[in-house]
Formats: sequence, structure tokens, C-alpha cells
Amino acid sequence: MIPATLNVYVGLSALLFAVGLLGVLLRRNTLVIYMCLELMLVASTLAFVAFSRFNGSMDGNVFVFFILTVAAAEVAAGLAIIVALFRKRLTVQVDQLDGLKH
Amino acid sequence: MDIAALQHIAATNVWGAIWPELSLGCLALALLALEIVLPRAAHRHIPAVAVLGQLVVLAGVLLDWHSPWLGRETFSGLLRHSSEGQAMRVLFLLSSIAVCLLGRLNLQKSAMPRVEFSHIVLVVAAAMMLLAQSCHFVMFFVALETVTVGFYILVSYCRTNPLTLEAGLKYLILGSLSSALLLFGIALLYGVSGNPLLSGHTPAGMHYSDLAAFLAANPHQWLAGLGIVLVLSGVAFKIGAFPFQIWIPDVYQGAPTPVTAFLAVGSKAAGFAALLGLVRYAFAPYTWLVIPVLSFMAAATILFGNLAALNQHNVKRLIGLSGVSHAGFLLLAVVSVGATSLAVGAIYFYLLAYLIASFAVFGVMAHLAGSDDTNQQLDHYAGLARRQPLLAGVLAVGLGSLAGIPPLAGFMGKFFVFVAAFQADHYGLLAVAIAGVVISIYYYFGWIKAAFFEAPAGPSEGASAVTVGWFSGVILVALALATVVLGFYQGPLGRWLTW
Repeated sequence: MIPATLNVYVGLSALLFAVGLLGVLLRRNTLVIYMCLELMLVASTLAFVAFSRFNGSMDGNVFVFFILTVAAAEVAAGLAIIVALFRKRLTVQVDQLDGLKH
Repeated sequence: MDIAALQHIAATNVWGAIWPELSLGCLALALLALEIVLPRAAHRHIPAVAVLGQLVVLAGVLLDWHSPWLGRETFSGLLRHSSEGQAMRVLFLLSSIAVCLLGRLNLQKSAMPRVEFSHIVLVVAAAMMLLAQSCHFVMFFVALETVTVGFYILVSYCRTNPLTLEAGLKYLILGSLSSALLLFGIALLYGVSGNPLLSGHTPAGMHYSDLAAFLAANPHQWLAGLGIVLVLSGVAFKIGAFPFQIWIPDVYQGAPTPVTAFLAVGSKAAGFAALLGLVRYAFAPYTWLVIPVLSFMAAATILFGNLAALNQHNVKRLIGLSGVSHAGFLLLAVVSVGATSLAVGAIYFYLLAYLIASFAVFGVMAHLAGSDDTNQQLDHYAGLARRQPLLAGVLAVGLGSLAGIPPLAGFMGKFFVFVAAFQADHYGLLAVAIAGVVISIYYYFGWIKAAFFEAPAGPSEGASAVTVGWFSGVILVALALATVVLGFYQGPLGRWLTW
């Protein structure tokens, strides 16, 4: 049983962030990339809540509400773009989306 | 927390201090309401209502220039009002008005709804104003994300064009990535500054001045340094600085021309306003880290932007890459901010000169764009001087100002930035910047040469059908005149430049 110290939370958050970042850089499917981006946001959220709890200030908790709202707006716009693009091109692989050149 | 403390916090909510942002938001909602209420035949007047409303707000901001709230913090430290904030408000209003006018011109060609376009432009402009005045990371992040999400929609606005959607997707992924980096940086800064084991720890680490006090007490904290680098890279994406400029050519090409103009001018100016706030207030004690990072970015941005622009044939990609190099010149002034008081004024003047010259060029581009907005080649400009002398003249003045040709405003902007960098002893960066200017003249003049000295290759698409309405003509001539006049006389802006 690992004791629930600040280091554990921040370590987990850094790990989630790294997994998300690597996913964005390495994966080729737009939807998976988008999931990894959300993972990065969640990693920051976890860090905020942990810091807020262990440092005894409410600012981090309050910020998390704003982050969730912003992330929801971002997903709404983002998925709409992905769906519209899929209807036109019938693919969500980034390798095949290379129409913009010179 | 007791009632008295809550009352104290509520007393700092001064809604009158943000009336321009509030009225832009209300105007944006009113446009949507008008579309529901008015009969279909009257819908074409709604964009004009948007422009008129923005002109009223602009006049109000100018009349209210010496607002009683200047130099004070409101909303329990979320916003800080200053005369620089007023200048940015004017700049963003000018650019959103110009974008709405361009939208009227351009969206007619592609038969896209125009009311929603004005609506999003207004909301984004209001968020940019708040971003420029924020002095708290919560306000900073929320305003920045409002701008970014608005731009996701604007970039992919022509949803019938697969290239536009592709540009929207690229902007979406890289924009979200930069937001995530930025957010993790803020989390680190907040966590470190609240650590009870460190001297000067504060529970309000997201407020710029509290964070600066903490950073001053812990001058070499590596975790805080990492947070600062992450935040700076998030902002570097918005201004299109190296190595976060990857998205610029593709997105600028795919986005509708008015949106490209808004990205080039508004988004970039907002990024620089935010960056200035961070560098001058929040990260001031960490100049040992901020200056080298931004100096490297400035040099690499100037060189990359200019070299990559050399072999572009699509004018939208060309103007995007030239915008990258302009971001580099502005970064040069940001690096000098701590050392000389001239730098801040130089940034505002440069932004204004860049705004006017860019909208002159984009105005010409919007007139010449054919039915495929993403395909605007240099060849389409061949023989423009014979077909449309007015457009060619405005184009020459705008491009000359962007290149920095002496009597024009762009030259004075570059001159002030270089003087600031000289006073701050950044000689190496200055040499890179001057080399960049020399390279840039080559591609700007390639464009002017195509317009003035090349015969049209053949009946190119839409080339003969261009007509310039009297209203657009007046605006374009006014922009060109303003570029010339600002080169000789800087007006009230001179006050900042002599500080």
C-alpha cells in the first residue's frame, strides 16, 4: 500500500501527462490523438487538485471547474470538426490528411 | 471564510471597468437574436449592425481613455487595468472591425452564413481584451481558451471545403497540445509557489504579483523554471514562434481569408499582450531563464520565417511565414523589455503598423480571391497594376510597410524595435534581425514585381471579374494613407516611445 503523499499524486500526474504527450506525438489516428490531448488536460487537473489539497489553498480546486468547462467547449468544437472532416474525406488518419501543400 | 471577507471580494467586482468587453458580448448575442426576430430579407443588414456597434464601442473606449480604474486591480485580482490595456482594446477593436468588413466581402463569394461569423469574431475580440488585461492565471487561461476555441470554429468555417476542415483539424490538435502544455506549466508554478517548505510560499500563487514575490525569494527553483518554460511554450504557439510555428503555413492557407487576417493580426497581438504581462510582472525575477529562452526563439523565428517564405508561391502561406518573422522581430523587443523603457512602446507601435499594413494586403487578397479561397497563387497577381491600379497601389504600400521600406510605418516600427534591442545590448540578435530584414525584401518584392512588372500569363481564374466597391476602395485607400502618415508622425503613440 503506497501512502497517499503529494509526491505520489504529482508523480501520477506527470506520468499521465507524459503518456498523453507521447500519444499525441506518435499515434496516427485523429480520435486517439484527441483522447491523448484530453489525458494531458486531466493530468493537469489532478496536479491542481493535489497541490490544492496539500498546500491548503482553494485556488487550485476552483481552477479545476474552469478547466472542465473549457475542456467541454473544446471537445464540442473539436469533435464537430473531426466529424465534418470525416464526412468529406472518409478518413481520420493524419497521414492521409495532406491536402495543404504549396 | 466569513461574510465580511466575501463582501470584501464582491466589492472588487467592478462591472463598469469592463464595459467594452461586456458590450461586445451583448452585441454578439443581440446579433443572434436579430437573426431570429428579423424577416429573412433583412438578414443581410445584420453584419452592418455588428460593424456599427463595434465603431460605437471603439469611440467609447477612446472617449473613456483616462478611465478611473487605470492602474487598479478589479475582480479580486483577476484583471489589472492600465493605459496599455486601453491601447490593446483599441487594437483588437480595429482588427475585429476590419475582419467583419473582410468577412462581408469574402463570405459572400463562398455563400457562408455571415451572422454567426460576426458573432464569433465579437466574442473572440472581447476575450482578447480580457486576456490583455489579465493578471491572474485563471483569467489568463480562460480568456486564452475562449480565443482559441473561437478560432477552431472560425478556421474551419467553410465546412464544405475539405482543405479548410483539414486546416481546422491541424489548428485544433496543435492548439489543444499547446493549451495542455501551458496548463501543466501553470499547475507546476501553482504547486511550487504554495509549497510550505519553501521560503516566501503563498496560497495565491496564480496571481502574477504573488508569484513574482515567490520567485524572487527562490531564484533558482528548477520546478518553477520548468513551469515557466512550459507556459512560455504555450504562448509561443499562439504567436507562432519557433519551434511552435509548424501549424502556420497550412492553417493560414486553409482558413478563409478574413480568418487568416484575424489569426495574423488579432491572435498574434493577443499572444504578445499576454507574453508582455508574463515577462514584465509574473516572471520578472527569472530573467536568467526567460531572456535566453526568448532570445533563442527570436533568432530562430526570424531566420525560419524569412528562409521558409523564400520559395512559397501561395500568397496565404507567404504572408503566414512573413508573419512568423514579424513575431520574431516583436520577440526581439520583448527580450529588451527589462532593460529599456522604449521596448514596450516599440511593441505597441510595431503591432499597430503591422495591423494596418496587413489589413491593406488582406483587403487586396480578399478582392482577388477566386471561388477557391485556399488557392491564391503569386501568378494570379501578374499584371495587377494594369487591371486594377488601385489594388496594386494599396498592395505595394502594404507590402512595402511589412518589408520595412523607409518612409512607411513598418520601417519606423522596425527602427524602434532595433533601437530598443541596441539599448538592451542584444547585438547578436540585432545582427540576425537585420539579416532577416534583408532576406525578407526579396520575397516581398517578388510579390510586388508580379503585380507591377509581369504580364498576365493567360486568362487566370476570376482575374478579370474583380470589381472594387466604393466603400472597400475608401477603406483600402485609408489604410494605405495611414501607413504613410504613421511613418512620419506617430501621434499620441509617441508618448510611449519617449518614455
